[in-house]
Amino acid sequence: MSFAEIVDGPFWYFSATVFVIGVLWRLVGMLNMGSKTDFSTPRSSGSAAALSINITRFFPRADFWSRIRLQVVAGYLFHVGLFALLFFAAPHIEFYREYVTGFGWVALPEWAFILVSEIAFLGLMLLILHRMLNPVTRAISDRGDYIGSILIFLVMLTGCLALARSHEVLRVTHFFLAELLLVYFPFSALIHTFTFPFSRGFMGAHYGRRGVKV
Amino acid sequence: MAIDMNVFRGFAEQIKMLPQMARPTDCPDNERVKHAKAIFSTKIDASNATQLESCVHCGLCAEACQFYIQTEDPELTPIHKLDLLKRYYRREKAPLRWLHRLIEPDITEADLEATQHLVYESCTECGRCGLVCPMGIDIAAMVHVTREGLAHAGLIPAGLRAVEQEQGSRGTVFGVGPDQLRQAADELRAKGHEVPIDKDKADVLVLTSTIDVLLFKDALEATVKVMNHLGLDWTIHSCAFEGANFGLLSGYSEVQKSASERITSQAIALGARMVIVPECGHAYPALRWAGANAHGAPLPFEVMALSEFLGREVMAGRLQLNPIGADKHVTYHDPCKIGRHGGVFDEPRAVLQALGVDMREMPSNRTANFCCGGGAGLFVMEKAEPMRNAAFDLKRQQVEATGAGSVVTACGSCRINLMAGADRTHWGTRIESLVELVGDNLK
Repeated sequence: MSFAEIVDGPFWYFSATVFVIGVLWRLVGMLNMGSKTDFSTPRSSGSAAALSINITRFFPRADFWSRIRLQVVAGYLFHVGLFALLFFAAPHIEFYREYVTGFGWVALPEWAFILVSEIAFLGLMLLILHRMLNPVTRAISDRGDYIGSILIFLVMLTGCLALARSHEVLRVTHFFLAELLLVYFPFSALIHTFTFPFSRGFMGAHYGRRGVKV
Repeated sequence: MAIDMNVFRGFAEQIKMLPQMARPTDCPDNERVKHAKAIFSTKIDASNATQLESCVHCGLCAEACQFYIQTEDPELTPIHKLDLLKRYYRREKAPLRWLHRLIEPDITEADLEATQHLVYESCTECGRCGLVCPMGIDIAAMVHVTREGLAHAGLIPAGLRAVEQEQGSRGTVFGVGPDQLRQAADELRAKGHEVPIDKDKADVLVLTSTIDVLLFKDALEATVKVMNHLGLDWTIHSCAFEGANFGLLSGYSEVQKSASERITSQAIALGARMVIVPECGHAYPALRWAGANAHGAPLPFEVMALSEFLGREVMAGRLQLNPIGADKHVTYHDPCKIGRHGGVFDEPRAVLQALGVDMREMPSNRTANFCCGGGAGLFVMEKAEPMRNAAFDLKRQQVEATGAGSVVTACGSCRINLMAGADRTHWGTRIESLVELVGDNLK
């Protein structure tokens, strides 16, 4: 079996399985820890606040804007760009149709794909540079933060290079790196992709009961 | 009534003596880690777990913290203060604990000691960092869990420990017990005020605090004037008058619970429908939000911060005030524990509006307010002085940006920290109590 056949076959199934089971294992493990009953009389609904904060927290408060705009802008460039690439790039939609969902949807035109790629790259580069150069992020970052960033960078880079579809080796390399990322995902801080609605929700509910919109 | 600055300075000097009064803890040195872990194990739930797992180390929390903003010291990054708890969580509680045990060292006593400065002397648990976190991590809540772990490991800073030990063993704070309360009441009676103490039954139980009995007597007098003016069936009770809860501040839950239950059981015995918490920031969440959990059931009475009560009475038209006039320019400092942690924002502003003053908001106000720097017990921690000063300097800039000649607040700790800063820097801005303004202007 060639390397390409392994990447397209068994390693894909392995990485997808690790990803799904790993994410579920981690999520269920966290949520299974339960919460204690709060006997205090609430001022307003915690549940409504939990839902609300999940929307409002996408928009930074004006009070902080002047101090955090670089990270926020870079974060949005990267995350929105990555989301668009992951779910609206034609080769990805084709992949999902063939391997996951059985159906496809409308893809970005190629010029938009290239534009979105550049936006995502710009955001990622800014975030990595900020992590390395800012004294705070440099002090609180660990190896996992760099491994995750570099892996995503390489996946994106090889994905762009593979877009021409003229070199099979680039496609296989891109797919292999994406599979590595899937394996790494449940063991890393990338899990925030799935935990943030819960962490926001718990915080929103806590303050919401007290009548405070955070 | 102006505060006698010599009395204030004497009080500040007494605070400096606290570390010498602290007794050694009951926790043997070789059991500190075990005790801290036992608390962490009990306290970590799904909320903490999802929040600890969600951090992406973006560092935005630093940009909200008054201590980081003033010092630019990365050590003071709020999320860094949770490293100890995070390490415990990863190794002992996390779904991937088997993996983390292979790559991460266990926590040690040295780690506990290194964390003491971070969670006690460099954090007021003000919660401002949580407002900026894109993941919604409530760092303040987990700093408190860490404090609880350290407290049960016997690692409360000496100044705070001295007061917590006093409240835990004698039920007093700064030596103020029933005799000192009665003496303060007699002084007020000598001024012509009726001060009901130890009634058998009352609609309203009014708490006070040691600081008001010793130092801010203006706040105590004004509270008495308001209660009588409203014609309430109220009392102060000598067995349960202290609103301050140094168990909550230190993280020592046994003392927190006993201090809270003392009030709860007395209020139930009185048949009170309402308990009013004095101008003391943390006393409000200690009873309003944590009191029921200490009691193990919903409280059969309403708990109100004094500023909240005054505002509601004003808004209901029951408390009418003489306007001071718009030539008095004031700004309002929201105490973190009453505002951001308590939800009381509109009521004190309604009072100021009723007083007809020219109210000017600070650049960061209400939910985004900066802490005075003395909260969560920092005002009794000697080593926290540089932090308190740094926070005051920021607050001073914010107050000065409004052009107000007076900063009004509704928390004794905030007043102490602001007055200490003003005294240190010869700052001329008046620092006033909300209830004092009300008491002086009753219609």
